[in-house]
Amino acid sequence: MGIIKKVPVYAEKFPGGGIITTSLNYIFSQSQASSLWYLLFGTACCAIELMATGASRYDFDRFGMIFRASPRQSDLIIAAGTITKKMAPRLKLLHDQMAEPRYVIAMGGCTVGGGPFYYDSYAVEKGIDHIVPVDVYIPGCPPRPESLFEGCLKLQEKVKLQKIQDWS
Amino acid sequence: MTEGLRTEEFQVNMGPHHPSTHGVCRFILTMDGEVIVRAEPVIGYLHRSLEKICENRTYAQCIPVMDRFEYCTSMCCNEVFALAVEKLAGIEVPEYAEYLRVIMMELNRIASHMIWYGTTALDLGAITPFLYSFREREDILDMFEMTCGQRLTYNYIRIGGVSKDIPPEFIPKCKEFLATIDHKIDDYERMLTENPIFMVRNKGVGTLSPEMAIAYGVSGPSLRASGIKYDLRRDDPYSIYNRFKFDIPVCHNGDCYDRYIIRIKEMRESAKIVRQALEQLPNAEVNTGKMVKANFKPAKGEVYSRIENSRGEMGVYIQSTGDTKKPLRVKMRGGSYNQLQVMPELVKGVKIADVVAIMASLDIIMPEVDR
Amino acid sequence: MTFEELTTYLTEKFGDKLELLETGKFEPFFLIKKENLVEICEAVKTDDKLLIDFLCNIGAIDTGEKFEIVYNLASIKKNIRFDLKLVMEYEGAEVDSVQEVWPCSNWYEREMWELYGINIKNHDNLTRFLLPDEWDQGHPMLKNWDAPDFKRMPEVE
Ligand code: SF4
Repeated sequence: MGIIKKVPVYAEKFPGGGIITTSLNYIFSQSQASSLWYLLFGTACCAIELMATGASRYDFDRFGMIFRASPRQSDLIIAAGTITKKMAPRLKLLHDQMAEPRYVIAMGGCTVGGGPFYYDSYAVEKGIDHIVPVDVYIPGCPPRPESLFEGCLKLQEKVKLQKIQDWS
Repeated sequence: MTEGLRTEEFQVNMGPHHPSTHGVCRFILTMDGEVIVRAEPVIGYLHRSLEKICENRTYAQCIPVMDRFEYCTSMCCNEVFALAVEKLAGIEVPEYAEYLRVIMMELNRIASHMIWYGTTALDLGAITPFLYSFREREDILDMFEMTCGQRLTYNYIRIGGVSKDIPPEFIPKCKEFLATIDHKIDDYERMLTENPIFMVRNKGVGTLSPEMAIAYGVSGPSLRASGIKYDLRRDDPYSIYNRFKFDIPVCHNGDCYDRYIIRIKEMRESAKIVRQALEQLPNAEVNTGKMVKANFKPAKGEVYSRIENSRGEMGVYIQSTGDTKKPLRVKMRGGSYNQLQVMPELVKGVKIADVVAIMASLDIIMPEVDR
Repeated sequence: MTFEELTTYLTEKFGDKLELLETGKFEPFFLIKKENLVEICEAVKTDDKLLIDFLCNIGAIDTGEKFEIVYNLASIKKNIRFDLKLVMEYEGAEVDSVQEVWPCSNWYEREMWELYGINIKNHDNLTRFLLPDEWDQGHPMLKNWDAPDFKRMPEVE
């Protein structure tokens, strides 16, 4: 019963079962936070770290994060890797194709602000936050899988706090 | 009745965001039914202008930029740049550092082939091999991490030597890894080598003739799968590769399956080299070399140095004017650039599903193409 | 072939069409004229002693005064390596394509055309491929190139 105490539910027992009453908001945000499916959008070095995170040792699945190849099926873009000026419109397009509510994690220095390509590069977009809205920034070049976990947990906290009324 | 029937060509756009294009390559495929008539690769989605960046960095600062050139084998990228500058400036690398370099590069080659193994299987629809190969890759990354603190972009091999000595726990860990790697590779082989689905998808697909391979500048494992025994570690020895005994695996059909076999065999050979290097590692003097300073200026000159990395010949051309701290020009050459260039020839007349198999077997990685 | 053998062989074969540069201390670098480029390339490819079948790399260089183009060549069968170099003025920079000799030169030349603005004669597909399609800021690899959002790394001592 420990967990029941902490969550906003009203439970009533009767022989052979019980009824739980809770808010719609709570149900939606909880279930969404624990199954954030991400779009496989890896462009450069950080994508290898993203792959390693999804593989055996780090096992991304235990956070309920599974990769999808199509934007229509995903809730989250983990932008892993450099976004160049040529790639930027594609990122925007993919973001637009996702259904609301949608989230963006900027993984790695490149997507946060240009990273190692801030100076002297004519082709790299300096941060993706002027292309798509970013929810969580994860610095690092590349960030370790642990930092990616931290970022995802932060995002889950954010998702849990949101209200249905906020969905546009 | 048949007079009215005719087929029409149409175009299919594959990429740039496609899970099996290994990053961000895009193909415009002209199709007749399910058969490809023409394919045109469109690249540049990852063009980060590394060459321009290098022109505005000092020599020592170029090494981290080289890491991002081909991140699956960053050690080799470091080495090729360091090698070129050492040639220009006439720097001698201590023997101990040379051994460390070889150990790191060969471990990195194994790690890179493991990525290739996992993603190739993934592209062809098998998920399990990916999980297996990444499990062993983590062991290699642990070793790198305890040496230089990074998992992917190492900046370890510097001009004049290596950045620091290996920690004491490296050698036991490495020996443990080498003791099991052969069994692990046997496991890999058991999963794919005689797997009927894998064989059907790969045998006789994407055959690259030796003449075409040379004409298009294909190098590395893809060239050796076409029957040409050419490996820069033996033919143009750099570092101390002439002190080790290893075989150069060759196959003769030049199809996707042969390219698979070659890489599997190469992993074993690399493990052999690491074993020998660990044995010969001079214990007497620990000398990791002297790093160059920020205001280091090599003499006027130009040099093209090349090494064998896991995707073929990796080269870098450097021109120095002799009076500035920065190189006048750094031109990088990656094996994938030429491998992608030959793709339109290989995919002519195959089904669309085979494009993925061919691309995976050539082991194309986009940053090396776009730079 | 050693360095000396190779240089003597090449200078004997081509006479004054080649000039050995002393900047290449580690491998033979030859300066050639752009009129002779295709002819020399064909000759080194078919020569029995050289059999240069492998084009490693083509790179253009903007030295601040002139353009240079370097061809890094290798032979797989004979295991030889040397380089050819062209020098030309900015004005009307133009070079013949060596696509007939080594098909892989196609992309290298296309890249040169795109990033440096060197025109390539007899090239079958001179279209933009590394830069975005809507790019209108000129040739970014030139030394004096600049753009509003292009930042140079500050000098640190
Ligand atoms: S942040 Fe670093 S590791 Fe990540 S894509 Fe950029 S350069 Fe690569």
